[in-house]
Formats: sequence, structure tokens, C-alpha cells
Amino acid sequence: MSSRRSRSRQSGGVSRITEDQIGDLVSKLQQLIPELRSRSSDKVSASKVLQETCNYIKNLHREVDDLSDRLSELLASTDTNSAQAAIIRSLLM
Amino acid sequence: MRNPSSLKQEILKKWVMGLQICSSSKKEMTILERKKAIKLSADIAMASARNASKYWSRALIANASKQDENKALLDHILGCDLEKIKKKSSIVSIKRKKIVLRSKKILKKRVKNIGVASYIAKRLVKKRTQLLKRLVPGGESMDELSLMEETLDYIVSLRAQVDVMRHLANASMHLDHKVSSSMDQMLL
Repeated sequence: MSSRRSRSRQSGGVSRITEDQIGDLVSKLQQLIPELRSRSSDKVSASKVLQETCNYIKNLHREVDDLSDRLSELLASTDTNSAQAAIIRSLLM
Repeated sequence: MRNPSSLKQEILKKWVMGLQICSSSKKEMTILERKKAIKLSADIAMASARNASKYWSRALIANASKQDENKALLDHILGCDLEKIKKKSSIVSIKRKKIVLRSKKILKKRVKNIGVASYIAKRLVKKRTQLLKRLVPGGESMDELSLMEETLDYIVSLRAQVDVMRHLANASMHLDHKVSSSMDQMLL
């Protein structure tokens, strides 16, 4: 990876050579995002992939937040019930 | 490609370590405090599961270490690696900033020769790249190429983190129902 980058810097045209590399990464991103995976790589523009990537990351952040909420409530409710508390506490808290 | 389930196992292991530290330090926690502890432990676990080999993971850990209250948690999960990570992340961000400045100058020169449609397209890409930089930890000091690579890795790690948390939440819920329904049966 680093050797490719140093080659592009030596030739002077940073944007010319790395556009291919960026294109490659954009198509890899497209494969990762469930919204875009079904479409063929020719039809989706780079800006669309970036937009969907941002949305996807925001959604994942929100899920983490919601799950943290859920888990903190679940663990709070076990405070009152000793049987559940014993089991779950022995696993985690 | 990495084995996805081994990544999840790493995250789960480190997350549990973090949660145990949080509960041992404070006996009584509000729901909000507990939520923050759960979320922070999960983020640190996700970052350290990549062994600080990725820029985003080092940036996440460096940001967390800025707050004193997180120190015990970070020490427990990362141990002596914490200092190494902080040094590494501060050096690399300076180098990357220099590359970004250089490529911006080259881009400005090229823009004059391009037609209107592709100019607009490039500006749209630029705008969305800025958004992405704010979402990925440490993204502000990355050049475009690194940003894309880091984003790929970050998304894979985020997905693993969500899976681990979801499984635990579901397991706890089922445990809840099983125990309470069996208790109801005993009482009837």
C-alpha cells in the first residue's frame, strides 16, 4: 500500500494516479453498503456512494446508541430481581 | 479478508472487560451513566480489537483519553499500549495534514480546465467527502485515499460492534423472559 502512494508522489501528479485507486475503493465501498450492493458498479456515481456511506455510518452510530440505551435499561431492571441479576452480572457487570 | 467472527469475539471480550471495570468502580449508577459506560466500553473495545493498526482506531482511543474519567477503563483494556497509541496518532496527523495541503493546491489548478458539469460533480464529491471526514474518527486529518481505506475498515468494525451488542441485548431479554416466566410458573 505505502509503495503505491510513494510512487504517485514521485511522479508529481497526485490527483491523476490516485483517481484510479480512489475509484477502486469507491467500488469496494459500494459492495459493503446494503443499499447499493444490488446495483451494478457502472450506474452508481461516486457522490452517491459517498452519500450512502455517510447515511449508513450515521445509521450504525444510531443503532449503537439505541442498543446502549436498551442494555442500560435491561441491566437496571435486573437490580430489583436477584435471580436475573446473579446470572447477568456473572456474565458482565 | 479477516475472519468476521474472530473480530466479534475480540470486541465482545474487550467489551466485557470494560464493563466489569465500570461496575467495580461505581456501585450506584444512573441509567444515563450506565449507558455512557456501556457505549464507551463498546467503542474502546471496537477500536482496540483492530490492535491500533488503523488510523481511525488510534484517533478514537486518543479522543477518549482526553477525558480523565476514562483513564481507568483505557488502562484496563489497552494496558501499556495506550501510550504508544497516543504517540503514534499525534505524529501521523501532522504528516497527513501536509499531504492534504499539497493536493488541494494541485486540485485548484486543475479545476480551471474542466467543464461545468464535471466541476459541479467534483464539488458534490468534495462536499460529501467533508461529511464523511466528520463521521470517521480522525477523518479531518486524512487525505482522500486514506479516508476511503479507513472508512472501509471502520464500517466493517462498526457492523461487528452492532452485531455483538444486538446479540447481547437479545440474550439478556430472553433471559429476562425465561427467568420471569419460570418464576411465575413456580408461584402459580
